[in-house]
Formats: sequence, structure tokens, C-alpha cells
Amino acid sequence: MKGKPEIIKVLNEVLTTELTSINQYFLHARMYKNWGFEVLNEKCFKKSIKDMKQADDVITRILFLEGLPNLQMLGKINIGEDPQEMLKCDTEFQLKQIPQLKQAIVLCEQHMDFVSRDLLAGILDYEEDYYDWQDTQAYQLEQLGVQNYLQAQVEED
Amino acid sequence: MQGNKNVIEGLNTLLGYELAAMDQYFVHSQMYIDWGLNKLYERINHEFDDEKGHATKLIERMLFLGGEPDMQTRVGYKVGKTVPEMLQSDLRVEYEVADKLRVVIAMCESEKDFVSRDMLMILLDDTEMDHAHWLEQQLGLIEMLGLSNYLQSQM
Repeated sequence: MKGKPEIIKVLNEVLTTELTSINQYFLHARMYKNWGFEVLNEKCFKKSIKDMKQADDVITRILFLEGLPNLQMLGKINIGEDPQEMLKCDTEFQLKQIPQLKQAIVLCEQHMDFVSRDLLAGILDYEEDYYDWQDTQAYQLEQLGVQNYLQAQVEED
Repeated sequence: MQGNKNVIEGLNTLLGYELAAMDQYFVHSQMYIDWGLNKLYERINHEFDDEKGHATKLIERMLFLGGEPDMQTRVGYKVGKTVPEMLQSDLRVEYEVADKLRVVIAMCESEKDFVSRDMLMILLDDTEMDHAHWLEQQLGLIEMLGLSNYLQSQM
């Protein structure tokens, strides 16, 4: 089914963000793992896999709309050097992605592409939840201090 | 089967390191339990078993090659007094073992003893990926969590 070019364009922008997200979270996950922070590794690894599934849904939708999914583009990846910096980079990432998704949803609504809108709303829901978790981490870091916070992120074998 | 003299000598050198590592892990594991650091005890006791397994493989192979395993020599044995010192000393032993393993592996290759080489590869993999990596992680955690928090996690 032929989709509107504006919709295909915005879906491709969302796709670029997802592809970038996969890489940033994946590398962060494995950095946490290397240091022994299993809890953080688990969280970021799952996020990365979820991003891949979301990218899959967006690609499928673009193809259905007879557009060309752009897998070439990748945004800037921000990698922290310690857990605090990493959490900060990831939070900044979410704070850019959420408004982008909202704008894309508005555009879909305007063009009455309610199925794309629904797909994006599902992604937005997940991304907001993830941001909520990040917000909690920032709170805990501040309340517990870095050392106590990190201690809670180590899991025994 | 009569083995190559150089290979048997190389395996004996490695045995000296493995026996030292085994003894060191043994006494460290008992020190941890004495201090009530039960998680460290569990892990180090498991390393002790691993090193015993490594020594077993070396002894088996040497006997098969008609050599005489040297059970007397210990290389690089040093017991620490505090947890960071103990972990540091264990890591140093693992690094030394890994270096020595690489030398003997290269030698097995040049002497065409491919079965000994294969066996040593398993030891090297354990040494690098399991033992040394875990010890590096612990020392890193002590830095990042502080010693008191780290020790609290090991009770």
C-alpha cells in the first residue's frame, strides 16, 4: 500500500534513532558486564534487543508503505567512561528520542495514518518507561552515593 | 609413548606454576573463611579446584609421555595479608602462568606435539578468561565501590 512520502521520511528518522540506540546500549551493556555490574548489563542488553525489535517493526511498516528503509544512517553514539557518565549519556539519548517520537505521532495523526501512529505510540510508551527507570537511577545515585549505588549493581555469579 | 624432552621440561615448568597457584588459592580460601568472607571463599575454593584440575592434566600428560612430574617445585608463590593484596597476588600468578603457557604452547607447536598444545590451550583459556578476568574485575570493583562496600558484598 502506497504511503505518504512525509510519513515514510519520518519513519526513517525514527529508524535511524533506533539503530543508533541499539549500538549505544549494546556497548554500554558489555562495558558494565566487563566491570562486573551484572544488573546494569542486563538492563542495557535488554534495551538494545528491544530496540532491534522496534527497528524491525519500523522497517516492516516502511516496506509495507512501499518506501525504502534506510539502514545506512547512524546517529552519533555517546559512550561514557564510567557508569555515571554512561547513565547520563543514555538519559540524554532518551530525552532526544521522546520528542522525536511525539512529533512523528503528530504528523501521522495529521495525515490520518493511524496504524503508523499506533506503532509509534507503542514505541513511545516503552521509551518513556525506560526514561522513568533512568530517572530512578539518578535519584538513587544521588541518595545513596556512587559507591553504594554501584554496590547494588553487582550480582554474584 | 616417549615424548619430546623439551615438551616434558616445559610441562614440568608449568606444573611448578600450577602447584604454586593451587597452594596459594588453598591458603587464601581458608583465610577468607576465617574472616567470614564466605563468597570469596566459595570463589577461591573453586579456583583451587580448577588449578588442581590443571595440575592433573599436566601430570597425566607427562606420565603418558614417559616423563617424571616434579611435585617439589613451586614458582611465584606469595600469600597476601589483606584482601586487596591477596587478589593482587593471585592476579600476578595468573599473569605469570599465562605468559609461561604461551611460551610452552609455541614450543609444542615447533616440536609438533599438537596434543599437548591443544591441552595447554584449554588451560590458557581458563587462565585468561576465567581467572585473570575475574580478579581484574574484583580489583576494579574495590576501586569503584570502596573496600568496605566490596567486603560487605563478599560476606
